[in-house]
Amino acid sequence: MKATHTFQAEQTVSGYENKTIVQGISLSIPSNKISVIIGANACGKSTLLKTLARLIKPTSGSITLDGKQIDKIPPKQLARVLGLLPQSPIVPEGISVADLVGRGRFPHQTLFSGWSKKDYEAVAEAMEIMKITELANQNIDELSGGQRQRVWIAMALAQQTDILFLDEPTTFLDITYQVEILDLLTDLNRKHGTTIVMVLHDINLSSRYADHIFALRKGLLVAEGEPSKVITSELVKDIFGMDSTVIQDPVSGTPLIVPIGRHHAKPVTPAAPASPVSPVTSVNSEAPAPASSTPSKDPVLTY
Amino acid sequence: MTTNTIAYIIEGRRVRQRRWIVVTSILAVLSVVLCCAMLMLGNKNYPVQDVLRALTGEKIKGVSFAVNTIRLPRMLAGLMAGFAFGIAGHTFQTMLRNPLANPNVIGITSGSGAAAVFCITMLHASDTVISIASVIAGLVTTIIIYLLSNNGRSFSIGRLILIGIGIQAMLDAVISYLMLKSAQYDLPVVMRWLSGSLNGSKMNELPPLVITIVIFAPIIIMLGKHLSILELGEQSATSLGVNTNKTRIALIVSAVIMISIATSITGPIAFVAFLSGPIAKRLVGAGFSGAIPAGLVGVILVLASDLIGQFAFETRFPVGIITGILGAPYLIYLLIRMNRKGDL
Repeated sequence: MKATHTFQAEQTVSGYENKTIVQGISLSIPSNKISVIIGANACGKSTLLKTLARLIKPTSGSITLDGKQIDKIPPKQLARVLGLLPQSPIVPEGISVADLVGRGRFPHQTLFSGWSKKDYEAVAEAMEIMKITELANQNIDELSGGQRQRVWIAMALAQQTDILFLDEPTTFLDITYQVEILDLLTDLNRKHGTTIVMVLHDINLSSRYADHIFALRKGLLVAEGEPSKVITSELVKDIFGMDSTVIQDPVSGTPLIVPIGRHHAKPVTPAAPASPVSPVTSVNSEAPAPASSTPSKDPVLTY
Repeated sequence: MTTNTIAYIIEGRRVRQRRWIVVTSILAVLSVVLCCAMLMLGNKNYPVQDVLRALTGEKIKGVSFAVNTIRLPRMLAGLMAGFAFGIAGHTFQTMLRNPLANPNVIGITSGSGAAAVFCITMLHASDTVISIASVIAGLVTTIIIYLLSNNGRSFSIGRLILIGIGIQAMLDAVISYLMLKSAQYDLPVVMRWLSGSLNGSKMNELPPLVITIVIFAPIIIMLGKHLSILELGEQSATSLGVNTNKTRIALIVSAVIMISIATSITGPIAFVAFLSGPIAKRLVGAGFSGAIPAGLVGVILVLASDLIGQFAFETRFPVGIITGILGAPYLIYLLIRMNRKGDL
């Protein structure tokens, strides 16, 4: 099992150039759990993740790992504890899958060393977890999007960090692959105890897979906790500006958000049996157009 | 299960590693053969044993002078410049993930050249001053191109290349202007900086290049692993624990110094830095460091082109003309391909 760490952000402010995006967030990442950061587009969830993963230097506030400022920890040492899969990693041309996964071993290697036995073991284990063993000697250019994403995660796994950050690991993937990737990450957490922190776009998948939710609005943390306690139609209204009704996911029992658009409301007939959707009636007639505040790219609206 | 996987991965890597070793060895042998040919061939061709005897200090009439004074410095200049151009070009291309991002194409060589020509024609400076000025100008040009292509928030390699090509055109105009203004007797020295040639290389000019290569080539080769991580992009590299800024600066400074010093001796031998990396990568594959193979391909390109330039035609052509003929079509091909892919 992976080691337990305390990872905390204290009044963190960060952004780009002269634009502040994260407006002062304090949080503590639950160790050995899956945390998901949710929020509307441009709310700063990705910036927050990048700041936590030391890709962006906070303009104020502090981020500490086991009580130590992360920018004071030597980069290679930190890279053995904390890994990150960026949103759109860059694929070097013509490289084989095993060699790419092996690059995740960098923080464990010295200047001149070749691959040690440990390196091979870590690469093999990462590839087995992500179920890409048979692709080992294939060229990465030949893979599909879903396979590539598994290769990238395998590279992050080969790094063998206790904490793994993932920036929208399921974007651009078909729903099948989204679920598959999230299942694999859950395996990783349950079997190895890896602390996972990710940004996800899909709030329903988030509430299903997360142990802990961080909900952001305009660069501020507005709610956090277990999905079943945090995810309510008020919260959805608050962070996405969209009316919805929250029901129980028939599969997982976790909260499931059903958006209320301006169309498609089921006509209310007195004979209709009491269904979980019925509370909708009170709001649907004057529901505002949600699409204007939430870009339609959001998967919540497209399902 | 896991042991099978490990064996499978080890086997795959062994195959790729074997390919790297075989190809690199062949390139090394080819380089040695070309070095020998450079010493043996000329107005009069001498057999190997005569060349070796002349090299070891024995006085043989005719042979000693031709080999030791003319052919040996020519060969060494070509060997070292080719190696420097190949490694430096590979470094830029890998770091910026684009074969076009190359000192020859994005104006860094022209920056060095313009400074050198200025020092020669306007200041009549000494060779040392000229070399130092050209290194500094190369670095300054790099910084200017980088800053101009970084418009506040985003950095695009396509933009860097286009700006580099623009800067290159501007610097070439500066060079032309300086030449028009210069005294007639400065022109032969100036020409050295403008067209690549191994003609008239002298032994006493070589030490700075030897020192440069001995210091900076190992730095680049040692940072090969870091370079392969930088190739994954800023974010991945940072999260893998690479200090991206320091590494990038070390690599750029090493590469620019090697290019500038080599250029001060042989002139910018067209397209060698540009062609070596991609050829080497095609030959050895992408999994292992391409620095040494790229350096060897550079050696082969320079020496083979020089031999072709000397002996294949009625008139003798300097090496830069031959490499130019080889490189130009590839440049056009790359531009068309990148344009199709939407990279430019």
